Amino acid sequence: MIAALELLREIAARQDGFVEIRYHAKTSRSLGVDKGKVERSQVRHRKGVGVRVFAGGGWGFASTGQVDAVSIERAIQLARTAAKACAGHSSAGSAKHPPLMSLPACTLARGIFDQPGLEEIAARSLEEKIAMATNLEAHMRGASSTIRSASCTYNEIFEDKAIVTTDGAEAAFRLVRPELRVQAVAEKDGQLSTGNEAVGATGGWDCLFHSAAGEALAERAAKTAQDLLGAGHAEGGRSVVILAPSIVGLLVHEAIGHTVEADFVQAGSVAAGKIGHRVASDLVTLCDSGGSEHYLGAGGTIPVDDEGVPASRTTIIKDGILVSYLHSRESAARFGVAPTGNARAWEYSDQPLIRMRNTYLEPGSQDLDEIIANTRDGYLLDGPRNGQADATGEFMFGVQEAWRIRDGKLGELVRGVTLSGIAFEVLQSVDAVSRDFRWDLGAGYCGKGQPAKVDAGGPYIRCRALLGGEQ
Amino acid sequence: MKDRNLLDLCSTLVELARKAGADHAEATASWERAVETHLENGAVHTVQSREETIYGLRVMVGGSQGFVTANDSEPEVFAKRVAEAVACARVTPKDAWVGLPDPEAVTKVSGLYDADVAEVGVDETAQLAATMLAHIRDLDSRVRVDSGSVSATVSMTALASTTGVAVSQISTLMDASAFGMAVSGDEVASFDYDNAISRRRRGFEEEISAACDRFVTKCAAGLGATAGLSFRGPIVLSPDAVAEFLLPALIDAVCADNVRKGRSPLAERLGQRVATSLLTVWDDGRVPGGVSSSAFDREGMPTRRRAVLSNGLLQTFLFNHYEARAKGNGTRSTGNATGSAASLPTVGSHRLEVDPGTTAMADMIARSERAVWVGRYSGATNPVTGEFSGVVKNGFLIENGVRRPVREVLIAGNVFELLNQISAVSRERHDVGGQALVPALRAEDVSVTAG
Repeated sequence: MIAALELLREIAARQDGFVEIRYHAKTSRSLGVDKGKVERSQVRHRKGVGVRVFAGGGWGFASTGQVDAVSIERAIQLARTAAKACAGHSSAGSAKHPPLMSLPACTLARGIFDQPGLEEIAARSLEEKIAMATNLEAHMRGASSTIRSASCTYNEIFEDKAIVTTDGAEAAFRLVRPELRVQAVAEKDGQLSTGNEAVGATGGWDCLFHSAAGEALAERAAKTAQDLLGAGHAEGGRSVVILAPSIVGLLVHEAIGHTVEADFVQAGSVAAGKIGHRVASDLVTLCDSGGSEHYLGAGGTIPVDDEGVPASRTTIIKDGILVSYLHSRESAARFGVAPTGNARAWEYSDQPLIRMRNTYLEPGSQDLDEIIANTRDGYLLDGPRNGQADATGEFMFGVQEAWRIRDGKLGELVRGVTLSGIAFEVLQSVDAVSRDFRWDLGAGYCGKGQPAKVDAGGPYIRCRALLGGEQ
Repeated sequence: MKDRNLLDLCSTLVELARKAGADHAEATASWERAVETHLENGAVHTVQSREETIYGLRVMVGGSQGFVTANDSEPEVFAKRVAEAVACARVTPKDAWVGLPDPEAVTKVSGLYDADVAEVGVDETAQLAATMLAHIRDLDSRVRVDSGSVSATVSMTALASTTGVAVSQISTLMDASAFGMAVSGDEVASFDYDNAISRRRRGFEEEISAACDRFVTKCAAGLGATAGLSFRGPIVLSPDAVAEFLLPALIDAVCADNVRKGRSPLAERLGQRVATSLLTVWDDGRVPGGVSSSAFDREGMPTRRRAVLSNGLLQTFLFNHYEARAKGNGTRSTGNATGSAASLPTVGSHRLEVDPGTTAMADMIARSERAVWVGRYSGATNPVTGEFSGVVKNGFLIENGVRRPVREVLIAGNVFELLNQISAVSRERHDVGGQALVPALRAEDVSVTAG
């Protein structure tokens, strides 16, 4: 890493104009155990250098898998040619967004920013990791005769990055992100049901298993699959819902976070023009951070973004008022604010895009039990499946478990529930926020043309939303 | 890079693996060179150039399998990667089904390569992108392009193994896409997307133009959306919704790995009726010039065209070599090993094709009916149980002959029941991203919930 940083620094010193050079080496290991068999044990190595040139109002990007001075300088030439081709057409944009001709100076990172956990995960043998995955899979199948099959996936990604720009960034870091997923499938009288649990972290196994040990996750997945076998369906319609931290995480990431990414804002998302406006109840404070707030290990942690900007904490909504968007250097220049460290690239051959990191709702002051006791009629929702959100702020999340609440008491479990609504309307309806806090989407990947490791979470909240169910 | 060189790389890796103690080995490699212009916020934003070779090596040692993939190009690193794959196999438990297929005759699919695409440079993709933006703006100034791209790619794939498989292929691809929404005053409509995709350069401007027309029509149709109604009744799935919602659930259920693992509701239904007799579905890896076509699959086995459903009867499950061995009784791969050089083979489909019906798309809902048109479906489908629940996008409520856009409308049910609720198939079919050729489908008695 130090050698790569030095090589990039030497090359950058020879360049004219703005050039950004990023070395990125990634080693990923993946193990898959399914129905008693190790079906997948693989290692993936990918390394190279991506370079961006900004000239004449146009961006050029080129990448090379060869990490040597000649190849990198050749990539810079290709990027210069590409920037020229881009600048020739950048006037094809709308008059509303005239081309930017240079990037303003900003705070840029300089130094080495290694994250914890690297040595610990590297030191654990492949045999130990295979044994863990095999045991957890067997544990689920042994939980009940109704468990028809089970699977366990363990992944780890080691990253090694160095970023140098001609205007002053010189940063490097290494980190590791382990992930574990378990799934149990139960069957009775021809009806199938599934239970899923997943955790992901930036750091060692102490971070990965911060909220629950592997065995506890396996037991929970097996229990959920069994419990859902006999569960009925929810009644569709608008309802009071208490969202667990996992669902809150999905809500703040999918339904709010994407609408405040400055590129979406410029295109006309629902958050456009809303800075300083009330968009949520005053119980809502929402942030996105490159650090892991509240406790260590959040899965989207980065010390520095892929433009060399420190990835500090950004408050998006404060006490219900929208106060900031998420920015790259370019979008920050267009909005006349400082960049927020949200420009991220998945691999060396990807260009940086505005992405979230760890997105969360700040905890409040109430007990979950107290919130449930004060709910006459509604549902408690936990276990996110997939989620999507729209430019309109309309979102849709699949929910694994939904418990009926009647007269302040948790009742039966129902299945096949979808949560939907208009994001800012749902946040306006938040009337209770618990004091708990949990990162709960660390095993997740966000997609926006390229993947990104992110995390999200928060406390339990109560609000109103639309439940998809049966009519 | 020449395909011979790529095949030589595969052979070198296989030989190194044998020397390192592997009983069997398979190497696959891909080389890709692409130029691409990205659009952002309605403007040409970045022009990109990239080239990369990736290889994947699968080794078998004493009945155990290991896999390594990398993009190294230094020959001195190859031995290290090979040793890593062998070491990985040595600590992995034995699996009796692991193995490599014997070679089979592979015949070329025509129209996968066009020398004109290989000549496209950064100036040309930038020009096409600028033209695409101008076309969208001219069609409807309310439609915003949030992001998009125009790219030209040349790629080669090769595979060699100790069982004697040795295949290679070169192909090209032109791709243009736009993602965005209509904005009118304070109103923001739903996201929508369309793309043009082709193996050929000639005529691509016309394909981009047609994609822009579809994109603008879909985006603008979402303006003025209001609340819908809750009811049980008919819905019509557009070709996009059929391709992106219904077919993936069906294909998951016929992939032999899911069948074997107890994750398919169709596991015991081979030869039985699993859908209405109106439904015939093909999997085809050999469409001439098709963007999902290839002469061979991820294991070097020949691809085929085969019926998955024929008049509602389940005709086949899809197998790669591993799943065929697991099934036993002489079962052979169906040429459905999917994946890239960066991954182990899995099981999947190629291009899916649904036979057309007899109803005009415009006549799928009678004037007197209440029904919902599902332009796209954004939701959760549990592939194991088939349960689905999600939001209708680009959706319309049709009532008393009046069609109006709606928002916050959810549909829910079970995909495998839905297959039996299909009552009409349109005679028109759309190509959806080169991945599927499908009609619109009408289904009865579906739960619709409005917010």
